[in-house]
Amino acid sequence: MRFAKSILQIGYLYVMLFIGNSISSVLHIPIPGSIIGLGLLFLLLQFNIIKLEWVELGAGLLLSELLLFFIPSAIGVINYDELFGVQGMKVIAVIVGSGIVVMLATGYMAEWFGHRKKGDVV
Amino acid sequence: MTFLIAFISLLGTIAIFYGSKTIYAKFGFAWLSPIILTPVVVILILLVTGTPYEKYNAGGSILSNLLGPATVAFAVPIYKNFVLLKKYAIEIMVSITVGSAVAITSSFLLALLVGLNEELTHSLVPRSVTTPIAMDISTMIGGSPTLTAIFVMTTGILGGLLAPMLIRTCHFNTPSAKGLMLGMGAHGTGTSKAFEFGELEGTFSSIAMVVAALISIVLSTTLFPVFEQFVMSSLLP
Repeated sequence: MRFAKSILQIGYLYVMLFIGNSISSVLHIPIPGSIIGLGLLFLLLQFNIIKLEWVELGAGLLLSELLLFFIPSAIGVINYDELFGVQGMKVIAVIVGSGIVVMLATGYMAEWFGHRKKGDVV
Repeated sequence: MTFLIAFISLLGTIAIFYGSKTIYAKFGFAWLSPIILTPVVVILILLVTGTPYEKYNAGGSILSNLLGPATVAFAVPIYKNFVLLKKYAIEIMVSITVGSAVAITSSFLLALLVGLNEELTHSLVPRSVTTPIAMDISTMIGGSPTLTAIFVMTTGILGGLLAPMLIRTCHFNTPSAKGLMLGMGAHGTGTSKAFEFGELEGTFSSIAMVVAALISIVLSTTLFPVFEQFVMSSLLP
Protein backbone atom coordinates (compact mmCIF):
# COMPACT_ATOMS: atom_id res chain seq x y z
CA MET A 1 0.00 0.00 0.00
CA ARG A 2 2.79 2.35 1.04
CA PHE A 3 4.73 1.34 -2.07
CA ALA A 4 1.72 1.85 -4.37
CA LYS A 5 1.21 5.29 -2.84
CA SER A 6 4.88 6.16 -3.46
CA ILE A 7 4.58 5.12 -7.11
CA LEU A 8 1.48 7.28 -7.56
CA GLN A 9 3.32 10.21 -5.97
CA ILE A 10 6.27 9.74 -8.34
CA GLY A 11 3.61 10.20 -11.04
CA TYR A 12 2.87 13.67 -9.60
CA LEU A 13 6.60 14.47 -9.72
CA TYR A 14 6.63 13.44 -13.39
CA VAL A 15 3.76 15.89 -14.00
CA MET A 16 5.88 18.67 -12.43
CA LEU A 17 8.82 17.60 -14.61
CA PHE A 18 6.61 17.69 -17.70
CA ILE A 19 5.39 21.20 -16.89
CA GLY A 20 9.00 22.27 -16.20
CA ASN A 21 10.18 20.85 -19.52
CA SER A 22 7.35 22.60 -21.37
CA ILE A 23 8.15 25.94 -19.74
CA SER A 24 11.85 25.51 -20.53
CA SER A 25 11.27 24.75 -24.22
CA VAL A 26 8.47 27.26 -24.83
CA LEU A 27 10.31 30.17 -23.20
CA HIS A 28 13.76 29.09 -24.50
CA ILE A 29 15.45 29.50 -21.13
CA PRO A 30 18.74 27.63 -20.60
CA ILE A 31 17.50 26.08 -17.32
CA PRO A 32 16.56 22.38 -17.52
CA GLY A 33 12.94 21.40 -16.95
CA SER A 34 13.84 19.38 -13.85
CA ILE A 35 15.14 22.49 -12.05
CA ILE A 36 12.08 24.51 -13.13
CA GLY A 37 9.90 21.63 -11.91
CA LEU A 38 11.75 21.71 -8.58
CA GLY A 39 11.12 25.45 -8.23
CA LEU A 40 7.49 25.02 -9.21
CA LEU A 41 6.86 22.20 -6.71
CA PHE A 42 8.56 24.26 -4.01
CA LEU A 43 6.29 27.26 -4.72
CA LEU A 44 3.16 25.09 -4.82
CA LEU A 45 4.11 23.59 -1.44
CA GLN A 46 4.96 27.00 -0.04
CA PHE A 47 1.58 28.47 -1.06
CA ASN A 48 -0.27 25.39 0.24
CA ILE A 49 -1.65 24.51 -3.19
CA ILE A 50 -0.02 21.07 -2.93
CA LYS A 51 0.02 19.34 0.45
CA LEU A 52 3.29 17.84 1.65
CA GLU A 53 1.58 14.43 2.18
CA TRP A 54 0.76 14.25 -1.54
CA VAL A 55 4.42 14.02 -2.58
CA GLU A 56 6.44 13.21 0.55
CA LEU A 57 6.52 9.39 0.24
CA GLY A 58 7.36 9.37 -3.46
CA ALA A 59 10.04 12.04 -3.09
CA GLY A 60 11.52 10.16 -0.13
CA LEU A 61 11.70 6.92 -2.13
CA LEU A 62 13.45 8.60 -5.08
CA LEU A 63 15.91 10.52 -2.91
CA SER A 64 16.86 7.48 -0.84
CA GLU A 65 17.65 5.47 -4.00
CA LEU A 66 19.26 8.36 -5.88
CA LEU A 67 22.57 6.55 -6.52
CA LEU A 68 20.80 3.80 -8.48
CA PHE A 69 19.71 6.31 -11.14
CA PHE A 70 23.32 7.34 -11.85
CA ILE A 71 24.52 3.77 -12.49
CA PRO A 72 23.53 3.36 -16.19
CA SER A 73 25.35 6.61 -17.15
CA ALA A 74 28.43 5.47 -15.24
CA ILE A 75 28.39 2.25 -17.27
CA GLY A 76 28.40 4.42 -20.43
CA VAL A 77 32.14 4.88 -19.92
CA ILE A 78 32.72 1.56 -21.78
CA ASN A 79 31.97 3.39 -25.04
CA TYR A 80 35.02 5.64 -24.61
CA ASP A 81 38.15 3.58 -25.20
CA GLU A 82 40.38 6.67 -25.26
CA LEU A 83 39.54 7.29 -21.58
CA PHE A 84 41.20 4.02 -20.55
CA GLY A 85 44.76 5.25 -21.16
CA VAL A 86 46.99 8.23 -20.42
CA GLN A 87 44.16 10.66 -21.32
CA GLY A 88 41.95 9.02 -18.73
CA MET A 89 44.62 9.34 -16.04
CA LYS A 90 45.02 13.04 -16.88
CA VAL A 91 41.26 13.57 -16.69
CA ILE A 92 41.14 11.85 -13.30
CA ALA A 93 44.04 14.01 -12.09
CA VAL A 94 42.12 17.15 -13.09
CA ILE A 95 38.91 15.95 -11.44
CA VAL A 96 40.65 14.97 -8.19
CA GLY A 97 42.75 18.15 -8.05
CA SER A 98 39.92 20.52 -8.88
CA GLY A 99 37.50 18.55 -6.68
CA ILE A 100 39.71 18.94 -3.61
CA VAL A 101 40.17 22.69 -4.20
CA VAL A 102 36.43 23.20 -4.75
CA MET A 103 35.42 21.34 -1.61
CA LEU A 104 38.06 23.06 0.52
CA ALA A 105 37.04 26.51 -0.76
CA THR A 106 33.34 25.82 -0.17
CA GLY A 107 33.88 24.12 3.20
CA TYR A 108 36.20 26.79 4.62
CA MET A 109 33.91 29.55 3.40
CA ALA A 110 30.91 27.97 5.15
CA GLU A 111 32.89 27.18 8.33
CA TRP A 112 34.12 30.76 8.49
CA PHE A 113 30.53 32.02 8.32
CA GLY A 114 29.50 29.44 10.91
CA HIS A 115 32.12 30.60 13.42
CA ARG A 116 31.27 34.25 12.79
CA LYS A 117 27.63 33.44 13.52
CA LYS A 118 28.62 31.80 16.81
CA GLY A 119 30.71 34.89 17.58
CA ASP A 120 27.64 37.09 17.10
CA VAL A 121 25.71 35.18 19.74
CA VAL A 122 28.44 35.37 22.40
CA MET B 1 15.32 -10.48 -27.91
CA THR B 2 16.13 -6.77 -27.60
CA PHE B 3 13.24 -6.42 -25.20
CA LEU B 4 14.48 -9.39 -23.17
CA ILE B 5 18.01 -7.91 -22.88
CA ALA B 6 16.52 -4.57 -21.82
CA PHE B 7 14.36 -6.30 -19.21
CA ILE B 8 17.25 -8.37 -17.84
CA SER B 9 19.50 -5.25 -17.85
CA LEU B 10 16.99 -3.31 -15.79
CA LEU B 11 16.30 -6.04 -13.23
CA GLY B 12 19.95 -7.12 -13.16
CA THR B 13 21.19 -3.58 -12.45
CA ILE B 14 18.69 -3.21 -9.59
CA ALA B 15 19.63 -6.63 -8.17
CA ILE B 16 23.39 -5.96 -8.36
CA PHE B 17 22.84 -2.51 -6.85
CA TYR B 18 21.05 -3.94 -3.79
CA GLY B 19 23.65 -6.71 -3.56
CA SER B 20 26.40 -4.06 -3.55
CA LYS B 21 24.52 -2.10 -0.89
CA THR B 22 24.48 -5.17 1.37
CA ILE B 23 28.21 -5.79 0.80
CA TYR B 24 28.99 -2.11 1.44
CA ALA B 25 26.95 -2.11 4.66
CA LYS B 26 28.83 -5.21 5.85
CA PHE B 27 32.43 -4.16 5.05
CA GLY B 28 32.15 -0.36 4.82
CA PHE B 29 35.16 0.23 2.52
CA ALA B 30 34.58 3.40 0.49
CA TRP B 31 35.72 1.73 -2.74
CA LEU B 32 33.02 -0.93 -2.26
CA SER B 33 30.35 1.78 -2.42
CA PRO B 34 27.44 0.68 -4.69
CA ILE B 35 28.20 3.58 -7.05
CA ILE B 36 31.56 1.94 -7.83
CA LEU B 37 30.91 -1.77 -7.33
CA THR B 38 27.68 -1.90 -9.38
CA PRO B 39 29.12 -0.33 -12.58
CA VAL B 40 32.26 -2.49 -12.32
CA VAL B 41 30.23 -5.70 -12.02
CA VAL B 42 27.80 -4.71 -14.80
CA ILE B 43 30.66 -3.65 -17.13
CA LEU B 44 32.38 -7.01 -16.56
CA ILE B 45 29.13 -8.85 -17.36
CA LEU B 46 28.62 -6.75 -20.53
CA LEU B 47 32.21 -7.43 -21.66
CA VAL B 48 32.03 -11.18 -20.94
CA THR B 49 28.66 -11.64 -22.67
CA GLY B 50 29.62 -9.24 -25.50
CA THR B 51 26.52 -7.09 -24.98
CA PRO B 52 26.84 -3.58 -26.49
CA TYR B 53 26.07 -0.64 -24.20
CA GLU B 54 23.20 0.50 -26.44
CA LYS B 55 21.33 -2.80 -25.88
CA TYR B 56 21.99 -2.63 -22.13
CA ASN B 57 20.86 0.97 -21.96
CA ALA B 58 17.49 0.22 -23.54
CA GLY B 59 16.68 -1.07 -20.05
CA GLY B 60 19.19 1.00 -18.09
CA SER B 61 17.82 4.30 -19.39
CA ILE B 62 14.59 3.63 -17.46
CA LEU B 63 16.67 4.19 -14.31
CA SER B 64 18.48 7.28 -15.73
CA ASN B 65 15.07 8.65 -16.61
CA LEU B 66 14.08 8.64 -12.93
CA LEU B 67 16.77 11.31 -12.32
CA GLY B 68 14.22 13.81 -13.72
CA PRO B 69 11.51 13.32 -11.05
CA ALA B 70 14.28 12.77 -8.47
CA THR B 71 15.62 16.28 -9.16
CA VAL B 72 12.07 17.66 -8.77
CA ALA B 73 11.84 15.71 -5.48
CA PHE B 74 14.61 17.87 -3.94
CA ALA B 75 11.87 20.50 -3.51
CA VAL B 76 10.59 18.46 -0.53
CA PRO B 77 13.64 18.66 1.81
CA ILE B 78 14.15 22.29 0.73
CA TYR B 79 10.51 23.11 1.56
CA LYS B 80 10.67 21.30 4.92
CA ASN B 81 13.80 23.20 6.00
CA PHE B 82 13.10 26.51 4.33
CA VAL B 83 13.15 28.54 7.57
CA LEU B 84 16.66 27.31 8.29
CA LEU B 85 17.85 27.85 4.72
CA LYS B 86 16.54 31.42 4.78
CA LYS B 87 18.59 32.04 7.92
CA TYR B 88 21.70 30.79 6.08
CA ALA B 89 20.89 32.48 2.75
CA ILE B 90 23.97 34.73 2.57
CA GLU B 91 26.33 31.99 3.69
CA ILE B 92 24.91 29.62 1.07
CA MET B 93 25.06 32.15 -1.75
CA VAL B 94 28.64 33.27 -0.98
CA SER B 95 30.04 29.76 -0.39
CA ILE B 96 28.45 28.37 -3.54
CA THR B 97 29.43 31.32 -5.72
CA VAL B 98 33.03 30.93 -4.56
CA GLY B 99 32.81 27.13 -5.02
CA SER B 100 31.40 27.43 -8.56
CA ALA B 101 34.00 29.99 -9.61
CA VAL B 102 36.78 27.77 -8.21
CA ALA B 103 35.29 24.71 -9.94
CA ILE B 104 35.23 26.36 -13.36
CA THR B 105 38.64 28.07 -13.19
CA SER B 106 40.51 25.18 -11.55
CA SER B 107 39.11 22.59 -13.99
CA PHE B 108 40.20 24.78 -16.89
CA LEU B 109 43.66 25.62 -15.54
CA LEU B 110 44.45 22.03 -14.48
CA ALA B 111 43.27 20.72 -17.85
CA LEU B 112 45.68 23.16 -19.55
CA LEU B 113 48.44 22.15 -17.16
CA VAL B 114 48.22 18.41 -17.94
CA GLY B 115 47.81 19.23 -21.63
CA LEU B 116 44.33 17.98 -22.50
CA ASN B 117 42.87 18.88 -25.89
CA GLU B 118 40.21 21.57 -26.29
CA GLU B 119 37.23 19.20 -26.46
CA LEU B 120 38.21 17.40 -23.25
CA THR B 121 38.98 20.71 -21.50
CA HIS B 122 35.64 22.28 -22.39
CA SER B 123 33.84 19.09 -21.42
CA LEU B 124 35.55 19.18 -18.01
CA VAL B 125 34.68 22.80 -17.14
CA PRO B 126 30.99 22.20 -16.18
CA ARG B 127 31.70 18.91 -14.33
CA SER B 128 30.67 20.16 -10.86
CA VAL B 129 26.97 20.50 -11.53
CA THR B 130 24.17 18.01 -11.90
CA THR B 131 24.18 16.07 -15.21
CA PRO B 132 21.40 17.69 -17.33
CA ILE B 133 22.68 21.21 -16.60
CA ALA B 134 26.32 20.25 -17.07
CA MET B 135 25.45 18.79 -20.49
CA ASP B 136 23.69 22.01 -21.50
CA ILE B 137 26.62 24.18 -20.36
CA SER B 138 29.03 21.89 -22.19
CA THR B 139 27.16 22.43 -25.46
CA MET B 140 27.10 26.20 -24.89
CA ILE B 141 30.88 26.49 -24.35
CA GLY B 142 31.92 24.01 -27.06
CA GLY B 143 32.47 20.75 -25.20
CA SER B 144 30.96 17.31 -25.79
CA PRO B 145 27.83 16.69 -23.70
CA THR B 146 28.36 12.89 -23.59
CA LEU B 147 31.92 13.29 -22.31
CA THR B 148 30.65 15.83 -19.80
CA ALA B 149 28.06 13.35 -18.51
CA ILE B 150 30.86 10.87 -17.82
CA PHE B 151 33.03 13.52 -16.12
CA VAL B 152 30.09 14.63 -13.96
CA MET B 153 29.65 11.00 -12.96
CA THR B 154 33.36 10.63 -12.14
CA THR B 155 33.28 13.89 -10.17
CA GLY B 156 30.39 12.54 -8.12
CA ILE B 157 32.09 9.22 -7.40
CA LEU B 158 35.50 10.72 -6.54
CA GLY B 159 33.94 13.64 -4.64
CA GLY B 160 31.93 11.22 -2.52
CA LEU B 161 35.15 9.34 -1.66
CA LEU B 162 37.28 12.46 -1.01
CA ALA B 163 34.74 14.51 0.98
CA PRO B 164 34.70 12.39 4.18
CA MET B 165 38.54 12.49 4.23
CA LEU B 166 38.58 16.27 3.77
CA ILE B 167 35.89 16.71 6.45
CA ARG B 168 38.04 14.72 8.91
CA THR B 169 41.41 16.35 8.06
CA CYS B 170 40.08 19.92 8.03
CA HIS B 171 37.73 19.44 11.02
CA PHE B 172 34.63 20.75 9.30
CA ASN B 173 32.07 20.54 12.10
CA THR B 174 29.05 22.58 11.08
CA PRO B 175 26.29 20.79 9.14
CA SER B 176 26.27 23.74 6.73
CA ALA B 177 29.96 23.33 5.83
CA LYS B 178 29.63 19.54 5.40
CA GLY B 179 26.43 19.78 3.37
CA LEU B 180 27.49 22.68 1.17
CA MET B 181 30.88 21.17 0.25
CA LEU B 182 29.26 17.82 -0.58
CA GLY B 183 26.54 19.38 -2.74
CA MET B 184 29.04 21.70 -4.43
CA GLY B 185 31.82 19.13 -4.87
CA ALA B 186 29.85 16.01 -5.70
CA HIS B 187 26.27 17.10 -6.67
CA GLY B 188 23.77 14.18 -6.51
CA THR B 189 26.09 11.48 -5.17
CA GLY B 190 27.44 13.98 -2.63
CA THR B 191 23.91 14.80 -1.53
CA SER B 192 23.12 11.16 -1.05
CA LYS B 193 26.29 10.92 1.10
CA ALA B 194 25.25 14.08 2.98
CA PHE B 195 21.94 12.44 3.95
CA GLU B 196 24.05 9.63 5.52
CA PHE B 197 25.56 12.31 7.79
CA GLY B 198 22.10 13.64 8.69
CA GLU B 199 18.91 15.34 7.48
CA LEU B 200 20.41 18.81 7.99
CA GLU B 201 23.59 18.04 6.02
CA GLY B 202 21.43 16.54 3.28
CA THR B 203 19.27 19.63 3.07
CA PHE B 204 22.26 21.95 2.80
CA SER B 205 23.67 19.67 0.14
CA SER B 206 20.39 19.70 -1.84
CA ILE B 207 20.24 23.48 -1.84
CA ALA B 208 23.95 23.68 -2.73
CA MET B 209 23.28 21.51 -5.77
CA VAL B 210 20.42 23.68 -6.99
CA VAL B 211 22.20 26.98 -6.34
CA ALA B 212 25.44 25.68 -7.90
CA ALA B 213 23.55 24.71 -11.03
CA LEU B 214 22.01 28.15 -11.45
CA ILE B 215 25.21 30.07 -10.62
CA SER B 216 27.30 27.87 -12.91
CA ILE B 217 25.00 28.58 -15.86
CA VAL B 218 25.60 32.30 -15.34
CA LEU B 219 29.36 32.08 -14.64
CA SER B 220 30.27 29.68 -17.43
CA THR B 221 28.38 31.55 -20.12
CA THR B 222 29.39 35.09 -19.12
CA LEU B 223 32.67 35.13 -17.18
CA PHE B 224 34.29 31.90 -18.39
CA PRO B 225 34.75 33.02 -22.05
CA VAL B 226 36.43 36.23 -20.80
CA PHE B 227 38.63 34.27 -18.38
CA GLU B 228 39.56 31.75 -21.09
CA GLN B 229 40.54 34.46 -23.53
CA PHE B 230 42.59 36.22 -20.85
CA VAL B 231 44.50 33.04 -19.94
CA MET B 232 45.08 32.02 -23.55
CA SER B 233 46.28 35.46 -24.61
CA SER B 234 48.69 35.75 -21.68
CA LEU B 235 50.07 32.25 -22.38
CA LEU B 236 50.51 32.83 -26.12
CA PRO B 237 51.70 36.43 -26.56
